[in-house]
Amino acid sequence: MNEIQELEAILLRRVADSSEPREVLKSPEIKALYARIPALDPSERKEFGQQINALKQLLEQAVRDKESADEDAVSEPLDVTAPFGINGTLPALLPTDGGSVHPLRQEIAALIEIFGRMGFVAEESREIDDQYHMFETLNFPAGHPARDDYDTFMTIQKDGDGESLIAPAHTSTMQNRILRKYRDRLETGEPIAAIVPDRVFRNEDLDARHEHTFYQVEGVYVAKGVHAGMLIATLQKFLEEYYGKKLEVRVNPFYFPFTEPSFEFALSCPFCEGKDASCKVCSGEGWIELLGCGMIHPNVLRAADIDPNEYTGFAFGCGIDRLVMMKYGIEDVRHFESAKLDFLKQF
Amino acid sequence: MKVSLNQVKQYVDFELPPVDELVARINAQLGGVEEVIDLADKYKDAKIVRVVECEKHPDADRLSVCKVDAGGDELVQVVCGAPNVHADMWAVWLPPESVVPATYSDAEPFVLGARKLRGVMSHGMLAAADELDIGSDHEGIVELTEADVSAGKSLEAGASFAATFGLDDTIIDIENKMFTHRPDLFGQLGVAREIAGILGHKFTSPEWYTAAPEFGAGEGLEFEVFNDAADKAPRFMAVALKNVDVKPSPLWLQCSLVAMGGKPINNIVDATNYVMLLTAQPTHAYDYDKLRGNKLGVRMARDGEKAELLNGKTYEFTSDDIVIVDGEGVVGLAGIMGGATSEVSSETKNIVLEVASFDMYAVRKSAMRHGVFTDALTRFNKGQSPLQNDRILKLLTMSVKDLSHAVEASAVCDLKSGELTTTLRNVEQDTIFMQDSLIATLDTTPHFVNSRLGTELTLAEVETLLKNVEFSVSDEEGNLPEHFEGTKSYPVLLVQPPFWRTDIELPEDIVEEVGRLYGFDKLPRELPQRSSAPATHNAEIAAKQRVRETLARAGGNEVLTYSFVHENVIKKAGQDVAQAFGLSNALSPDLQYYRLSVLPSLLGYVHMNIRAGHDEFLLYEIGKAHHNEVFDDDGLPAEFGRIAGIYANKQEQRDAAYYAAKRAVEYLVGSVLPGAKLSYTRLDKYNAPDFKPFTQLLTPFDPVRTAVIMIDGKLAGVIGELRASVAKAFKLPKQTSGFELFISPFVRTTGSQYVPLSRYPSVQRDVSFRIDTDVNYADVYDALSLEVFTNNEQRITAEPLDIYQADGADSKTITLRITMTPYTKTLESDGVATLLEKLTTSVVNATGAQVV
Repeated sequence: MNEIQELEAILLRRVADSSEPREVLKSPEIKALYARIPALDPSERKEFGQQINALKQLLEQAVRDKESADEDAVSEPLDVTAPFGINGTLPALLPTDGGSVHPLRQEIAALIEIFGRMGFVAEESREIDDQYHMFETLNFPAGHPARDDYDTFMTIQKDGDGESLIAPAHTSTMQNRILRKYRDRLETGEPIAAIVPDRVFRNEDLDARHEHTFYQVEGVYVAKGVHAGMLIATLQKFLEEYYGKKLEVRVNPFYFPFTEPSFEFALSCPFCEGKDASCKVCSGEGWIELLGCGMIHPNVLRAADIDPNEYTGFAFGCGIDRLVMMKYGIEDVRHFESAKLDFLKQF
Repeated sequence: MKVSLNQVKQYVDFELPPVDELVARINAQLGGVEEVIDLADKYKDAKIVRVVECEKHPDADRLSVCKVDAGGDELVQVVCGAPNVHADMWAVWLPPESVVPATYSDAEPFVLGARKLRGVMSHGMLAAADELDIGSDHEGIVELTEADVSAGKSLEAGASFAATFGLDDTIIDIENKMFTHRPDLFGQLGVAREIAGILGHKFTSPEWYTAAPEFGAGEGLEFEVFNDAADKAPRFMAVALKNVDVKPSPLWLQCSLVAMGGKPINNIVDATNYVMLLTAQPTHAYDYDKLRGNKLGVRMARDGEKAELLNGKTYEFTSDDIVIVDGEGVVGLAGIMGGATSEVSSETKNIVLEVASFDMYAVRKSAMRHGVFTDALTRFNKGQSPLQNDRILKLLTMSVKDLSHAVEASAVCDLKSGELTTTLRNVEQDTIFMQDSLIATLDTTPHFVNSRLGTELTLAEVETLLKNVEFSVSDEEGNLPEHFEGTKSYPVLLVQPPFWRTDIELPEDIVEEVGRLYGFDKLPRELPQRSSAPATHNAEIAAKQRVRETLARAGGNEVLTYSFVHENVIKKAGQDVAQAFGLSNALSPDLQYYRLSVLPSLLGYVHMNIRAGHDEFLLYEIGKAHHNEVFDDDGLPAEFGRIAGIYANKQEQRDAAYYAAKRAVEYLVGSVLPGAKLSYTRLDKYNAPDFKPFTQLLTPFDPVRTAVIMIDGKLAGVIGELRASVAKAFKLPKQTSGFELFISPFVRTTGSQYVPLSRYPSVQRDVSFRIDTDVNYADVYDALSLEVFTNNEQRITAEPLDIYQADGADSKTITLRITMTPYTKTLESDGVATLLEKLTTSVVNATGAQVV
């Protein structure tokens, strides 16, 4: 044991015993160590200096821990089984009219309710998943350029395959599990019909229109004889029910690895009905690009052991934050995760 | 992807519809149009003029007074400041009232006038390249020569500049994202073909693209080509040319490049870019004399090998990078960017032209690794067909010869992978269809297509749609693959995609092709039929919804906070960063770790809301916690569903904040799980299971002011106040308490807790017990053993009225109000006394209390 190590033990003991642990940092022994540096051989100075610094850091942490422990130690024990304290009274709940469910969760409940009536079960997604579910089962082979389109958060820790885990960038990460979970229904003639409204993540810089954390509803429908016209009709019916009015919809071709054909889906603006050139929601265009969708790629069905020649299906993914922003005219997407009561109490 | 309609018109043999209609069709059937640029309008007033006279301005040294022939009866006087203006030259004139093209898109475009310059009238201006927005040159005005116009056109005074130089054009910019899988659509030719297809016209590719080219045998330069990475570079073609005259391209070519988003450099580089913009096949030119050893080849880089690329930066390569090399070292990063040392310059006399194919995944990885993204990469990583390399090299060679008087000086080298050689041996060189492994023949049926689109297209209709974009379709009887069993009554389509469609792999790809060319908006919209069986119910989602609605009723506000937190949030909560999943690539430092529990996120928002003027509130969140050592049965990180809440009151209260949080939790449990029995153990007395995620959940809580809560005997979470150090770190008011509960106890429904009403009056008695201060309330309450005395005869309940302790006293008094409800007869006073006696005796025996 060298002298610095010896001193470390002494000073740590002093911190533990002291009622003013921070004073230990000013100990003359430390100053004495620094004072010795100029006298050392230049080749030894660096290492010696580093040892002193390490000692100082260790002591500072010990002081902080001791201070925290001292602070925490003065606490008065409570009878935690009691309904209220000594000489107290039963606390009232906060007024109900100040309470609120988060607007995104209110909307998700509404989506679940409508899709439930249309025969879709609801499932939750995950906050951490593997690349197998996020990419492989969705027909993104390793190295596929489309993987770049998702700015995915990756973990430092690796999974059993030596790959980083990921924060799912779409709730399609649940698609394979859902297809497997409900696969048996197909044999009884019932469709697989599910939605996954949940949280997703993209590694983006924040601004009024971009969040790295947002909500998306994934929909999956598989049965015999499902075709692309049914996808369009189902989404149209859902949106008409959601907005409570007749709407026009249109599809544009798009590319997703996990659907073929793939579409970008737009609806006629339910707010101005295409009549207001200054409409803030549709920018006067009369159309709102809302979601991506398509016929489930045969490789995706195969990955869930469903025969794509016997069954076909469609899938869609729609951002929920945007629905809510349009509904209330919310100007900044960052409000959702801001935990600001001024915002929350309005809903 | 910028598409020039002038280019498209050269390839199609029908009249394009009006731009609005065309854009609508492209949007609906090809890809999202981001912008339509009307070049014809931008250049509508610019005219070609002949400078007839040019004299010095009488009062200004640097100005010249010109008389120009703009095609009218009289010459026009224009004052010009350019040093290169002279009589008998061709120039571009912007007349008065016209907009300077470079300012066309500005908020306030610059409109020229007729005005005096130093006393001499000037009508409009003679334009420099930068003013015309066709280059950056502002040294002098554009001087036109006959060499600047394309074949078949000439310079005429007063002619439209735009019409003469091909700028009477409309550029349609289509989102690249739509073409992620389409190698062919990154060239004008491919988009022209697609436009024909969606408009229902038959397209025929030019012969130079479909027919196998013949190359002449040049000689004069020693040149050796090699391919040492054939599995990553299936084809590598190169040819040397001599006597190259490197100079600026003719203006028509420069204008054309600019229109398609390119940047003119010199005639050789412009030719390589022009060919790429036309065909989507990237190409490259090298200065032959800078290639050491007269060699050019492709191989995998050696780890640590370095080279400077055209952007002036030096890169260090790895053995995963495909590189282009000469006899000594790297001269380019394959598929991405050429090297600086072999760049074609005005000194260049001899060149090498290269057209090759590289593995799309390998080049993408190299680009990501080095952070270099180029137009060539954008095209290569979509999977350009190696089968077009020879056609493109021929086109490029012809273009370079036209532009620079060069001649071939070597044989054309064509090095192919074994696989590709086999393929090419098996096909007719003059066909665009490959019968072997590269592009498979796909068997499909109109039924297969119709069943996925909902359409009723006939065989002939499907055939026409596909043939319009040069697929080969035949409906001869073929051997049906197994999966078409049962569809034998339908004719079979044998579909062969053309060689450039490397994206077509499956019958479903044919479905997309047919659907898109037919028009997705025309698909019949019908809802899927289903049985009336109810959709099943997700108990966990339903439970969470009950919880959030109940807590809102309790006056709480649901928040959603990020699933990731800054290291400081974890540390301030006393948790251990080393146990959290860390993010390796987050853009923001606020997102370093997955949270170990949900409560710390909420703690961070208390101070902010108090400052915003909210004095008392309850924030809650239903979220998830993770721990980097705990995995579920599928080998994925376990996700712990949690309900976290934080109660804060800016005003200090007499009673501990703990009881406010407890009250909210009891309301929650009472509402969602009526009848569930709650019990509490102080954290410091609780023998916590050695389970790290739970240990981390506990760390922010003060052990002597926190309860571990059990619901029906099962661990359900904790309620408590925060440790002083945590409160200080998060700037929490003194009156703060929180909870973090597991979701699982709430995912069930409990039976009815209805109690039949009694016909007999209830009797209430208040009883006070004096006990030692260290006896808990629950010890007293539980000792009443209410459930023992509740039976068919009567029901007994008790509620707390008062807990009193005098200052400095060593005992406290708990007063309970006991309600006795008889079911069979009215309770007489001696019956009441007997019951009370039994109840109090039980408490006295269990706790040593005195009834007072």
